[in-house]
Amino acid sequence: MQRAYSLAVFYYLLFSILLVMSAVLIFETKIGFSINGILDYYLGNEEKYILKQSFESILKINLPHLFSFAALAMVLLHFLVFTKHRFSKRNTILIYATFITAFLEIFTPMFIINGFEFFAYLKLLSFFLFLSLVLYISWLLFISIINE
Amino acid sequence: MKFTLIKDIKKDSEMSIILRGLLMFILLYLIADIFVMSSNFGITSHTLNTTLFGDEDEYIDPIGSSAFLEFWHTQIFFIMMVLLTLNSIFIRLAKEYKILITNIVMMSAILSLVCLPLSFYFSAVFVDLYIVSYFTWHITALYMVADSLWRLNAKSV
Repeated sequence: MQRAYSLAVFYYLLFSILLVMSAVLIFETKIGFSINGILDYYLGNEEKYILKQSFESILKINLPHLFSFAALAMVLLHFLVFTKHRFSKRNTILIYATFITAFLEIFTPMFIINGFEFFAYLKLLSFFLFLSLVLYISWLLFISIINE
Repeated sequence: MKFTLIKDIKKDSEMSIILRGLLMFILLYLIADIFVMSSNFGITSHTLNTTLFGDEDEYIDPIGSSAFLEFWHTQIFFIMMVLLTLNSIFIRLAKEYKILITNIVMMSAILSLVCLPLSFYFSAVFVDLYIVSYFTWHITALYMVADSLWRLNAKSV
């Protein structure tokens, strides 16, 4: 990669870290990192005056995330093509894992509001897994940039 | 980002038109962003302080933590996507100061995004730094659009 492109990618990684930080803060503020917090947020809790989320309200949040998760994953993963990690088995696993965890993170609330409370665990797990994958890909790219 | 791989954009009239269209929309985005920020969030020290911390004299409540984080989160995503795209075009077309301009636009954009939560959670001192960095990255990005458009025009068949 040309030096100027490497620099642009480096800054993109910094933006990605900021995005991950903001996502964690939003999750913590609105939902909380506990199974009860997730169930309260989606199923409602009369004692805490929390309204139940409807299919439409979840879809409204999902809509921008469908594009943004895919765009973020695509941009970060396609940078790996320009590194030595191209065509490696780890790269293929990373690509599948990123898109699958993104899908689960977005759609598990649909199962929660339909009575499958077990999906609260999957929501929390996929949230952290997706963000961890973003950070891991960013780390791989960062190492590739400084080793150039 | 196929255009980054084309060796001579000068000979690719279609790609040149596509890039000009994209640059025009980025230009409109940058201008519209200033107007939207001005009317919804504030771009002066007074209006930003009012949005973030409220104003008892005018009976304005401060922005809620949840609403603020959603705003910040959205801003990060849009800015990173717009600047990566714009920067890729600029690097492909510009002849000089590529590294310097990239550093200015990216560092000021990141600084503005960092100053926003620092202002909200820690100190109003960061509001002024946010305004300076916000306008720095906007002006630099506008220059990048103008320079790229100029070079595309000069290069077009």
